[in-house]
Amino acid sequence: MKSKADRYTLTSSQKMMIFVLSMSLYGLSNMFTELIPKLQLGPIELSVEYFAFIPLTLCILFHPLYAAIGAALGEVIFGELMLGQFGGLGELEKFLTFSFAMFVAGSMVRDPRSRLQVGTAAMTGVIIHQLCSSLVDIGKVIIGVEQFEAVPGLAESVVLVEGVGFLNDVLFSGILFALLPTLYLVPRLHGKIEPLLGMKPRERKLRPETDRRRVAMLAIVGVVLGLIAFGAESLSESGFDWGSWDSGLADRLGDGAIWVSVGAAALVSVVVLAVFMLRKKTTADRSGELPHG
Amino acid sequence: MVETHLPSATEMPSGLAAAAPPAIDLRNVRFTYPGGERQVLDGASLQLNTGSFTAIIGGNGSGKSTLCKLFNGLIPHFYSGDFEGEVWIEGRNAGECSVAELSRQIGYVYQDFDNQLVRPTVLDEACFAPLNYGIKEYRSLGRQALEQCGLLHMQDRYIWELSGGQRHLLAIAGALSLQPGILVVDEPVSQLDPSHARQVYDLLRRLNRDQGKTIIVIEHHAEFIADYCRDVCLVDAGRVRWLLPVPQALNRLDDLASCGIQPPEVTQVAARLNSLLATEIETPLAPSPLAETNLPVTLEAAVRWFHGLLETSAPASAGASAPVSAPASVPVFALASAPDSVRASALTSAASDVPPIQSEKVDNSESARWGQNELENQTPSNTAVLELNAVSLSYGSQRKGRRIVLDGISLKLHAGERVAVVGGNGAGKSSLLKLAAGIIRPDAGEVVLQGQPAAGVPLELLSEQVGYVFQNPEDMFIDDSVSKEIAYALIRRKLPDAEQRLQEMLRAFRLEELAGRDARLLSGGQQRRCSLAIGAAMRPAVMLLDEPTANLDMAMRGDLLSTLQALSSHVSTVVVATHDMGLVQEWATRVLVLQGGRLAADGPPEQVFADRELMARAGLMLPSLMELADRIGFGNRLARLTPASLAAAMLSRISDGMAEKVEEKSHANCPQMA
Amino acid sequence: MQIARRWLERLSLENFQTQLMGMVYGSGHAVLSRLDPRSMLIWYLFFAIAPWFISSLTVLTGMFLLLAASTVLSRAAPFILFILCLGLIGQVGWLFLLSLFFGGDAESALPLLKLTLKLSVVSLASITVFSGMDPERISDGLLALGMPATFSFSLSYGYRILPVLLEEFRSVLLSYRLRGKAPAAGRFRYVRLAVYYLKLLVLSFYPLMLATAKRSRTTVEALEVRGFSYGMKNPTSRRLKLAHLQLSWRDGAFLGGTAGYIALLFWLGYMQVQ
Repeated sequence: MKSKADRYTLTSSQKMMIFVLSMSLYGLSNMFTELIPKLQLGPIELSVEYFAFIPLTLCILFHPLYAAIGAALGEVIFGELMLGQFGGLGELEKFLTFSFAMFVAGSMVRDPRSRLQVGTAAMTGVIIHQLCSSLVDIGKVIIGVEQFEAVPGLAESVVLVEGVGFLNDVLFSGILFALLPTLYLVPRLHGKIEPLLGMKPRERKLRPETDRRRVAMLAIVGVVLGLIAFGAESLSESGFDWGSWDSGLADRLGDGAIWVSVGAAALVSVVVLAVFMLRKKTTADRSGELPHG
Repeated sequence: MVETHLPSATEMPSGLAAAAPPAIDLRNVRFTYPGGERQVLDGASLQLNTGSFTAIIGGNGSGKSTLCKLFNGLIPHFYSGDFEGEVWIEGRNAGECSVAELSRQIGYVYQDFDNQLVRPTVLDEACFAPLNYGIKEYRSLGRQALEQCGLLHMQDRYIWELSGGQRHLLAIAGALSLQPGILVVDEPVSQLDPSHARQVYDLLRRLNRDQGKTIIVIEHHAEFIADYCRDVCLVDAGRVRWLLPVPQALNRLDDLASCGIQPPEVTQVAARLNSLLATEIETPLAPSPLAETNLPVTLEAAVRWFHGLLETSAPASAGASAPVSAPASVPVFALASAPDSVRASALTSAASDVPPIQSEKVDNSESARWGQNELENQTPSNTAVLELNAVSLSYGSQRKGRRIVLDGISLKLHAGERVAVVGGNGAGKSSLLKLAAGIIRPDAGEVVLQGQPAAGVPLELLSEQVGYVFQNPEDMFIDDSVSKEIAYALIRRKLPDAEQRLQEMLRAFRLEELAGRDARLLSGGQQRRCSLAIGAAMRPAVMLLDEPTANLDMAMRGDLLSTLQALSSHVSTVVVATHDMGLVQEWATRVLVLQGGRLAADGPPEQVFADRELMARAGLMLPSLMELADRIGFGNRLARLTPASLAAAMLSRISDGMAEKVEEKSHANCPQMA
Repeated sequence: MQIARRWLERLSLENFQTQLMGMVYGSGHAVLSRLDPRSMLIWYLFFAIAPWFISSLTVLTGMFLLLAASTVLSRAAPFILFILCLGLIGQVGWLFLLSLFFGGDAESALPLLKLTLKLSVVSLASITVFSGMDPERISDGLLALGMPATFSFSLSYGYRILPVLLEEFRSVLLSYRLRGKAPAAGRFRYVRLAVYYLKLLVLSFYPLMLATAKRSRTTVEALEVRGFSYGMKNPTSRRLKLAHLQLSWRDGAFLGGTAGYIALLFWLGYMQVQ
């Protein structure tokens, strides 16, 4: 500790504390935001998307990586699994974009006492995350609706809905539930919450140690998933429709085609399982080692 | 620290030859937390023998919790601060063992034990450690630990279905699951009500006696130390000042006072009586006072000692049994044959402020009494401040459907009353308070506040008339300084005299010097004062306090009594839900006894306490002072029992016994009583 | 606005907590909870992914019916289903209205109906699995399928800590309300009321953060003392933890039955059309 006084190093236990803290708090808030009714004024929906100020505050005050991963996991556990809203693969994407956005926001801040830095970081975090999730949402509709082009007006409406959603989330949720509360909380908690966890406050001099290997891993996984999403999207765009493909086969193979299609569905499951396994290894590098890394 | 001396061989209490290595052996340990400014441990040395039962005491910030974290290696392995010295646990050097290895030898139960429970079911929780260590028999180990703690029958229950006491037992079971030789329990009493605390201590005693485990508790409550522990270790300023057997340790009244620990009430009575004996009765026949260091610390010992005193003083014909069988019908304070001056002094000392004998050393506000004039002012007026009409309440629970909590309760509270709501666990005390505050609404019946029905009135408005103070003061802290906490409600409601009221509150509750500090970082007693100030700031007509003495050590509890007095000048009716019969006995004018959601009794404390059958039925324990008075035959004759009044009454009993030999003038110039 | 008011009135945290915990842990007797979590998770994985690649209305409807039945079997709490419906309407309803606006017609309803079906199949599958099974079993299942131990622990810890957190949150919120001043009657009362509560919700996290920080410290210390990090590195402990997972004939029947049913659907959906 003494020898590295100029670096913001943490013991494994402190990382675990940050992780648990961030997970419980953001998870709880996510439960509430899932339940808050949305206010719709015409096509514009005023909704409390999330309480981004919680992970933002924690990422700024503590080590951003552990706070970010903890928060993302908290959302999956409290907001999705417990409320039965877990959407499968989509959550993986949310997990990654959200932790990435929060991590970037937290890393931007050099001095938690500077309001300018804190404010900029808060807005940047929200914008990164919203941009990613809007793009993914558009992709989802494109994959989900075959003959996407054939439905008149769908493409425009999807883009409009997502565009409005993006602006709403950035301007409404972003300012009210990320920027303002973060600006309020960070200076109040700085120097007060850290001793409760038995650690030193982050200060201007103390730069958080960033493990390049882990950040690289996060980026790689993100790219891989992006490729998968893009691949699926282009598949559906090239007219790769299971229905027509199937019926063509059925002529030649007769009843056997049923089993082919079932088999194909099973194959998808296996592939995804493999992705999970792959991710297990990468996450083991990132979060699995939390308590002793 | 003039008196500082490390425990030497002569002071080692358990006279065991050191054949086996001591359970705990600290050698000159120094430690500073990472980022901490101050050395929390400053050369601490301590040896505890295997099979001992030791209480560690010390003031706030003396380093006693840090000391205990040395035992299981959390320091220095988990907290990488600056560490010096050696720690040996059962003959192994802790510095060379990992936390994982050490935790097989030592179990640790935290003060906030709730946060220690990480699994959803009881059995899972008990199996957690053995499972982590990959022990095949983890289930039987878990069950064994549950059995030791008497929880085996609820192994499949979920943790949130357990009561606080059961959760504490489960935390102990979790710590015992690896069958360590040493068990450390941090402040078991502070988070539990008295009957649960006894349960926990009974368990610890069994573990110690039957299984030879070394038990270490961090404890404030001298009564529990006296009843259960064998040795006491005083930690002060990061060092171990002494390690003594309990009777000697609890007789070091000055040392105890210096770290804010009140000696057991029976010891206080004995100390007062002892000094009265030394100064009051100047005949050769009088029983001689004890040596200052030999006062009784347990109820049994005190009863024996007092009976002994009576025997030596009483005329041969009367015998020792006479006082015990004294008729209960004797009116309060009518100590028939006592000399007038003694009688008078007993009376005044019971009803008014008696400066305690050690006034310069002990924070004596605990004996602050309500003035005579105040009692007169408090004749209840006819209009009820708060009225409950046949209110009922039930909760839905996950397993058992609806459970009735309150069942048709009707009562009226008047201005000037000091009401105590008592009852066993789950009797509905807290629910009654929350109902009166409008936090929960009754299923049936109505709550009437100053003549207005409360139904339909939002909580924010009700709270202007009814103040509610939480059991845990920390739950009330929402801002970052004491003055902001108090001013919050005043500013929200845009009161014109907000600033003035704030200052008034700060003064009344002695918070002026703490005004700028964060309330969460204050000591227990200061937090409690702050929470009362928050409640009183709105000047509600009724103030409801949930368990105000919970989590307070005895000295702070005394402090609370004087704070309650400050409260009464701002609020007309105060209602307290409490387990603390001492508080009821000293403070209340009216007692509501709840049992199974019904009102089992309603009357002045003397009347309620006199009904021993009711007390037992409602699961109430007599305060130890009252128990003592009972056992030595004073019954219910003393209305507001304090150590001082009981000592005075005992003295007069002794002088009774020698009435004919005592001359009036020997009492006349009594400095304490005048 | 009316809806908002009804929500606020019914929004009792206590109710919510009871329902949620009841749902999560009250499912011990549900038929599905007797299955091996691994087979349940694989089953789930299929329904979480396959619908996105299927366009036959028959197959999707069939899947929907199966999952509706399994959701009933899992005894999910009504309010969870309510949230699901709200979400679906919110997501798809607006798309439909907007595509009408951009020149679409009732024709565009069909693809959107399919989208709705796909979304609900995925959601119902997750409700079935994650509310029909004890979280402990899910977390063991995930561990067995190779998820990191931190994740599976966090899952069961999340369920453990939730009642504690909600309790704490309730008392903090209560403190604010007891000392605060709610907007009085007048114009835009409900808007002001909503703003008041939202603001309280945000502010509550200040004390909550401090309290949770204290709590986390004890929890993590206790985890360390009780060998949690030791166990994570220790393969024996992992094997022991998962030893109770056993595939039985039930799992075979369950997975086989589902596969047969899906095959039938595909046959109906794609063969009959020809």
